[in-house]
Parts: sequence; structure tokens; C-alpha cells
Amino acid sequence: MSQRAMKKSGAGVLLACWECRGALAGVPPAANHFCDQCGKVQPLAGQADYFSFFGLPRQLGLDPAPLEKHFHDLSWKLHPDRFHQASDYERTLSLERTAVLNDAYRTLRDPVSRVEYLLRLEGVRKEGEIKQQAPADLLEEVFTLNEHLEELRAAKSAGGDARELDDLRHRLEKTRAAFQEKLDAVLAELTAQFPAWDEKADRAALARLSEILNRHNYIRNLVRNVTDELES
Amino acid sequence: MGRIIGIDLGTTYSLVAYTDLESGQPRCLPDAEGRTLVPSVVSLEANGSVVAGWPARERLLQQSQRTVYSVKRLMGKGRADVADELKLFPFRVAPDSESVIKIDLGGKVFTPPEISAFILRELKRRAEKFFGEDVTRAVITVPAYFNDAQRQATKDAGRIAGLEVERLVNEPTAASLAYGLDKHQRALIAVYDFGGGTFDISVLRLEEGLFKVQSTNGDTHLGGDDIDNLLAGKARAEIQEKFRVDVAEDPDRYQALRQAVIAAKHELSAKERATLRFALDGGGEYVRELTRAEFEGWIAPIIERTLAPCRMALKDAGVKPAQIDEVVLVGGSTRIPLVRRRVQELFGRQPHTELNPDEVVALGAALQARILEGGLKDMLLLDVTPLSLGIETMGGAVAKIIPRNATIPASASEMFTTYAENQTGVEIHVVQGERELVRDCRSLARFTLKVPPQPAGLPRVEVKFLIDANGLLSVAARDLRTGDERSVEVKPSYGLTDEEVERMILESIEHAEADFAAVQLLGARHEAETTLRATARALTEEQARELTGDERRQIEQARAALEAALQTEDYQLIRQRLEELNQATHHLAELLMDTAVQTALKGKRADEVNL
Repeated sequence: MSQRAMKKSGAGVLLACWECRGALAGVPPAANHFCDQCGKVQPLAGQADYFSFFGLPRQLGLDPAPLEKHFHDLSWKLHPDRFHQASDYERTLSLERTAVLNDAYRTLRDPVSRVEYLLRLEGVRKEGEIKQQAPADLLEEVFTLNEHLEELRAAKSAGGDARELDDLRHRLEKTRAAFQEKLDAVLAELTAQFPAWDEKADRAALARLSEILNRHNYIRNLVRNVTDELES
Repeated sequence: MGRIIGIDLGTTYSLVAYTDLESGQPRCLPDAEGRTLVPSVVSLEANGSVVAGWPARERLLQQSQRTVYSVKRLMGKGRADVADELKLFPFRVAPDSESVIKIDLGGKVFTPPEISAFILRELKRRAEKFFGEDVTRAVITVPAYFNDAQRQATKDAGRIAGLEVERLVNEPTAASLAYGLDKHQRALIAVYDFGGGTFDISVLRLEEGLFKVQSTNGDTHLGGDDIDNLLAGKARAEIQEKFRVDVAEDPDRYQALRQAVIAAKHELSAKERATLRFALDGGGEYVRELTRAEFEGWIAPIIERTLAPCRMALKDAGVKPAQIDEVVLVGGSTRIPLVRRRVQELFGRQPHTELNPDEVVALGAALQARILEGGLKDMLLLDVTPLSLGIETMGGAVAKIIPRNATIPASASEMFTTYAENQTGVEIHVVQGERELVRDCRSLARFTLKVPPQPAGLPRVEVKFLIDANGLLSVAARDLRTGDERSVEVKPSYGLTDEEVERMILESIEHAEADFAAVQLLGARHEAETTLRATARALTEEQARELTGDERRQIEQARAALEAALQTEDYQLIRQRLEELNQATHHLAELLMDTAVQTALKGKRADEVNL
């Protein structure tokens, strides 16, 4: 593991196994799932973040296959089913650790939620401060989309005839496809920024990521709403 | 510690299964007659005792207003949730049923978990008889799409029945465990589970013993019951038109009609046509030829309702129908040919039907029970939560904190603070569902987070929401400034409080013996009545002429004595008199034997002959 990764995940705190008092040498501390000596499951270390739980540095470029394999391996070992006959304390530890394992895997496997999570960890994004306004360059198209959406809704509730509804749906479908393309493009833009952070730990990259993320989420919600309307 | 049993607590039927330690194979436990199914029916006898299973199902036609079926559809619900359906049930709902439905059976009031506990106790007894020891631990299956309140109600039912619920397992996932044995190492599986009262679809990825649920969807209020109600409604309307009689006026008769349409439904799964016959009270008979095509035309909209959840589940799993390697059918309603055709069309492949669709869920529950016992180390289930968990924010909106289809256990932490000076409490409202507004989601619980009086915005309390491996929610709070754990008293929006469950456990322990005695009494009564009828008939047979006068007198005496005993509630006495009558009719039975054997050889059932 790189120096930077070790610094970021706060290694250096001495931990001991609750059962045999043996030193827990794993780095980062959150990745000490079990004691090397006696094999007992360990409580979560204080500042466990999802990256360090998997023994990873705070990086955005992640190969899904090894992450999944790691997730499976840990599931086999940590899952509450494996501790059903164990002591109450170990059962609690297994439950807590498996919950974090699942939360961590769910968050990290998807590039968008991975970026969101990293930005929160690095203090770039705070909850409640996330912008919801339309990006300026999209205003016109968003306006059109919303108009089409409204017309379809109005026609639906007025019980419009099948042909009219079909036409409106078709039109909306076309606009949706255009936005889906934009969504794919902005996702590509987002991932293109990953190396700037992963290789240079460039904080300016985080600000850029946050901006692209806003744009991405805005378009994503838009596409989601339209899809819901088209499918309902 | 004793064995952990696997229980499928179904809408129409329930089963109990165990995993054989040597072979590792799961098996359903049959009763003395070889039946693995236990009807999920509970009846209150006139003497105040309760019976469950087959004897209770017989009561459905005689004492429908004191008999409850399909109670699973009422689990974790309030009156408003099931208002339409309650009209169709013969039993009455007591007042004060807003957060928990209370069923009034002849003046005694029961909640759905208590009713379910009677069924569970029946299954528990069956297992105890088989193992020859107390059984106190069980894995119970629930529909995958059950919400927190419905799951909690199931767990409560177990506790009331004296069973520690070691795990709630989703029914389609359990079924896939049962099917997963000896299956190939990697596959994408869709489980289509259409039962008596609920519909589930789950998409799973199986990788070398790891059963990973990708997505689940369903409708906890869609099943064979809906088909039965539809058919019964059609028949009722036709009878009303032809005979000017409303069968529904007499609840017992309406149940008889319901049974008749169910029989026709079953017949139409095997044959192209069925005849529905129903004798009317004032003479006359309603006879209706029903073709499969007509039947399918009627039920098509119900079957159609299962397809939207299937598409949603596929979408959530991020797969196309063609990518599914195996389709597994579970639940009695999948015997309907139209269901099979629709499923086949959707997935473009022949579904698996090798395992008995009634038993496969219980078998899976038994396998999961064995996993919890520490066996079957090469199998592991990773299930998901079916519904998003959210908390109410300003203006009645929902902030989702754990998304649907998240692998469980799953957790989320939220930070709360105060808005006013010296505010001492923060109200938190937890909901489940996919919609954006609180009013469109299912309210799970409300609680008040206590904070020390401080300037606004200063307190920082972290609330941790945890969904465990059963899909059940728990909440813990921690004051981040002091590090103190804060206790959270969660009041469930629907369901029983811990105190209520405790009280029911105590009551049920007192009643358990009385209930068992009631079942014995009922059994003895039934046998006595059958024997009396058989004796009366036998005495009119030609062969009876060969009896001596003495023998005849003895039989008459024994008959009278048994009839007198039936007027009492004395189990021992009835048993004894029954035994005496059997002794007295010994010779008569021998005389009849020849004829009986001959008739049986002709293909008639022996009990038809005896009667």
C-alpha cells in the first residue's frame, strides 16, 4: 500500500484483540476484521470509512471484479449466519461488521455513489448543500422537456384518446433519449477526472468532480422522472 | 440445544420441515395420515377452546363466523389497509383495529399474530412428536415483499407460540435454496412465487454456493385468494340471477360455495373443463359448466398483475429476461396453466417445476435452519430489503436512507440537531416505500429523540438505523458531544408492543394445555360420531341378521352409553365408551368384512363402505 494511502486511512493507532489481547497489525485499522492470532471477529475501529474497510486508499478508480471478490470473501466469513452459535458479543460484532461491509460495497461499487461518498469524506460536499438548480446551458432543453412532461400528464388526467397519448409519449421518449445521451456523456466526464485525484491527490479535482456530479444528478433525476411517467 | 425447524407459514397452508443430519436433505413432516400440509385455519369451539389445521377447516362450513382463514393477509395491517377484503371474510373485526386488526370470534378477541400462533403451535407439536423432544427454535419464511410491520408480526406469532424465531427468510429465497442443491455452480435465477395470498418475484445470482439476491419485488396482497373471491363472486351473481337467492346472506353457505369454486379451480388445472355443482338450501342445484378458456378469461387480469413486479425486479437487477438461466415456480397458484404460460412467455424459457410447489419453501427454510445450526457450510444466503427505508423531512417529503434491494444487514446513520433554543426533543418518523411523499409510504414508527436543552443547532445526535438479516429495523442513537448512547423508544405504527406480546405469551402458556385437550376432545368426538354412524348403518345390513340377540343388546347398550358420553366434555369417558362400542361391534365388523373387501377390490374407498 502506498504512503499516501496509509496516511489517509489513519494507520499508526495501536489496537489489540478483545479476546487474546494480541496486537492487531492490519493496515488500515478498519480492515482488521479478525485477530490474526486467535481468529476472533473484531469490533469496528473508531474512524472506519468504506475505503479503509476494504483496505483501500481513498481512490476513485476501482476495478469492480476484485472488489466483488473481496466482498464475497468477507461475506462468507463475516455474515451473521456464520456466528449464529457464537456468543452474543460476537454475534453483535458480526452483525455490525456485515452491515458496514454491505453498506461499503453498495457505496463503492457504483462510480457515482463512490464519488459522492469521497466528496463527503473529504468535506467537499455537505448534506443539505446540494444544488438542485438546472445547469445554465441546459435551461432551454429542460424547459422543453418539462413542457412535454406536463402535456402528457394533462392529457392522461383528461383521459385523452389513445392516439394523442401515443404521440405525446413518443415525443417525450425522444427528448428522454437525448437527455440519456447527455447523462452518459457527463458520466464519462466524471470518470475522466478520476486520475487527477487518484494520482495527484489534487483538491481542485474534487471541486470539479463536485460540479460534474451536480450536473449528473440533475440530469439523472430528470431522466428518472420522465421514465417513471412513461412507464406508469 | 435442540434442533431448529423450518416453517412455511402460508396463507392457505403451512408446513414444517427439518434437515436430515446425515444426508443433509430437507424433509417435510407429515401427520398420521401422511399429509404434510396443515390448513392455515383456526376455529374457536363453542366451549372456548381453539383448534387449528384440518379440524378447523371442517369448521369453516359449520361455524364460519368462528373460523379464521387467510389470516396472513391481515398480518401487520390496520383496518384501513384491508377494508375491502374484510367484507369478504365471514368473521367479524372488533372495534379498535386501527393499528392492529382484532378479530372477534364468538366474543373472544384475537390479533393476527395470535391466530398465526395457533397454527405454529400445531406445527411445533408435529415436530416435537417427530423428534421426541421440545422444539423451541424455528426459521419461519415470509413473503420477500413483506414490510417491517408484517415481518415483526410474524416474529411475534412465533414468540406467542413458544418458538424463538432464529431467522425470517424470504420465501422465494428459501425456495431457491431448496432448488439450488445439486444445481450448476453459476446461474442467474428468477423465482416466481405465486401463493395463496401473496406474490413475490426474486432475481438471484448463484455462485458456488453463494445465493445472492439481486432484486425482489411483489405484491403482498395478490394470490389464489383473489382468484377464489373472483370466482365465488361470479357464481354468487349467477345464482342470484337464476334462483333469486343470495348465497352470501348465510356465511356458512358462502364458504361452501367458496370451497366449491376452489375445487373447480383445481380441476381446471388438470382438465379442459369442470362442472361446478352447488346445492341450494331451498332445493334446486346450481350447475355450471366451466371451460378452461372461460376461466382463463376471467383470471387473466389477476395474472397480469404479477408481470409488472417481474419487470421491475428485472430492471432493478439490471438484467434482461433472456439473461435469466433458470426460472423456478413456487406456490400453489403456479399450478394454473395460464400462469405457467405467462411466465414462460416473459422469460422465454420453460420454468422448473420438479419440486412440489407447496413444499419447496418449507424445505428451503429447513436448509436455512441447518445453516444456522452450523451445518451446510458451503451455502450462504445474501438477501435484500424489499423496500427503501426513509425518514420524514420538512414538508412531508421522504429522505431515503437505505435503498430497496440493499443487501442485508444494512445500516445508515443520520445526524440530527435542534432548530429552537432549549428544544428537548427531535421527532423522527421512519417510513418504508418508494414514493417521494410520506403519505404515500408505509409508516413504520415514530419516536422522539431526547436532547439536553441547549442553543439551537448545538446538540448533535447520531441516529443509526439497522436492518438485520431478518429484514427487521432497529434504531440506536448516540450523543456525539458526550458519546453517550441514548435509548430510543420506538412506537410501531402498526403492530403489537413488546408488552402486548409478553402478555400474549403468558396467556398462551396457560392456554396451551387447554388447547391441546380441546384438539384431543375434538378428535375423539369426530371418531365417536363416525363410529356411531357406521354402526347404525351396519345394523341395517343383511349380514347383521346373523348377530345373536345378546350381541345386538350389547351393541345397543354401548351405542347409548357413547351417545350419553358425547353430551359431556370428558375426553377420557368418550374414549372409554368408544372402545366399548368397538368391542361390542367386533363380530358385526367381521361379518361385514367379506363384503367390504370385495367392494374395496372393485375400487371403492374402504371408508365409503364402512360408513
